[in-house]
Amino acid sequence: MLAYAGGDLLAFETLYRRHRGTLYRFLLRSLRHRADADELFQESWSRLVAARERYRPEAKFTTWLLQIAHNLVVDRFRRQRPQASPEETETVLRSLDAPESEQPERALSEFEQRRRLQLALEELPEEQRIAFLLRVEGGLGLEEIGEITGAGRETVKSRLRYALARIRARFQA
Amino acid sequence: MSLPRDPDHDLERLLADDGGDLAALYRRLPKAEPPRRLDRSVLGEAARAVRGHTPRRQRWLLGVGSAAGIVLAAGIAWHVGQDALRREAQGEWPVQGAPATPSRNQNYVPVHPLDEPAPKRAPPPAQDTVDAAAPPPAQDTVDAAAPPPAQDTVDAAAPAAAAPPPPAAARPAPRKAEARAKEHAPPLAQPLAPAPPPPAPAAMAAPAPQAAPAEAERAEGKSGEGFAAGITAGAADATKAKVAPAGHGTRSRAVSAPPSSSVELRRDMQLAPDDWLAHIRQLLHQGRRQQAIESLRLFQATHPDHPLPAELRALLD
Repeated sequence: MLAYAGGDLLAFETLYRRHRGTLYRFLLRSLRHRADADELFQESWSRLVAARERYRPEAKFTTWLLQIAHNLVVDRFRRQRPQASPEETETVLRSLDAPESEQPERALSEFEQRRRLQLALEELPEEQRIAFLLRVEGGLGLEEIGEITGAGRETVKSRLRYALARIRARFQA
Repeated sequence: MSLPRDPDHDLERLLADDGGDLAALYRRLPKAEPPRRLDRSVLGEAARAVRGHTPRRQRWLLGVGSAAGIVLAAGIAWHVGQDALRREAQGEWPVQGAPATPSRNQNYVPVHPLDEPAPKRAPPPAQDTVDAAAPPPAQDTVDAAAPPPAQDTVDAAAPAAAAPPPPAAARPAPRKAEARAKEHAPPLAQPLAPAPPPPAPAAMAAPAPQAAPAEAERAEGKSGEGFAAGITAGAADATKAKVAPAGHGTRSRAVSAPPSSSVELRRDMQLAPDDWLAHIRQLLHQGRRQQAIESLRLFQATHPDHPLPAELRALLD
């Protein structure tokens, strides 16, 4: 990022290709609308580009990028309440389904598991979902999640614990 | 798929490096990727941000370049216009200044610039250029159309003191005449043929419009030859020494001062020094001050060692 701030466009392209998927999936699974995810994906990178000279190497680039995206997601949540209807959620989940190329039974099992996980994520409260996504998608630790979300370490642990419990409950249903 | 039910155990496994079975399941979810249009948009924006200042500078350069081009084009147009005006004046001023009736045209006395000593303060060449573009052809027309004076043809050029500056057509001619005079410099030191007789009255008629520059050039050449013919070789050298560097002065004089009749000046040169001075005094008495000054200057150039009376010396000052 420092190289890009110095004018090295190739450095930015490397960063972008490394983190574009993570950011996009974080946004898509947080917002559940592809259009919103597209919009905020672009907006996240725009803000990052605009703030390139303020970047300090003390923070991990992933943390910085996801913090920008998280702020945008929170703003979008505030504006979009009430949230999407279950029908819309189901539509998005179907669009995210991967083609099944495995054994029919196993494929059905994999498909069902992924579907249940996706439904469980959709049903999670925003803070828990974001904490879970930051962990599993962004690979961030408790401190980093707390830095992004503005919550304490224990609060993050609590959110993750509740998120896991809800996901398990979905699998037991 | 069997999943453990203990939330604390799940959390520990989630925070482990591999993320546990839930993280593994999550990684098997479809890997949604941003569309390519977003890639292009983001990368384009990043590139524009890095080169953000370049287009601004290019716009600034474009503006400055356009202004410079306009100024250059205006300058070229101005020079071309000046050149066209000069050429027009050279080739057409007799037409513009020609009288409406041919009878009056025949009364016009051509003016032949002389190679005279340089005035003490020669105006800068730039002034020549300004003057060259300035001559009002209308005044020439008025002068040419004015009723002929009662004097002879030589006197016709006498009131030139009040006449407008000579047309620009006569101006490039001295340069050529000077060049020609330089080319013919060796013969000047030798005894030359006597001065050509004064032009016939028919030759004094207004020259053909298109022949004006050539006529002026020819007259200039004749003037130089006549001037050299009337003096000894030593005097010619002395005169050349004063005349040769006075090219600009002569030219500017032809612009700033009205021309006098070269015929009369040639006659003056054939006079003895004392007679010449007496003739100059006579001119002064007749009120032809400008003519007297020109004749006196020519006298001084021809006879640099001859003492000038005080009243005539004051005339040069």
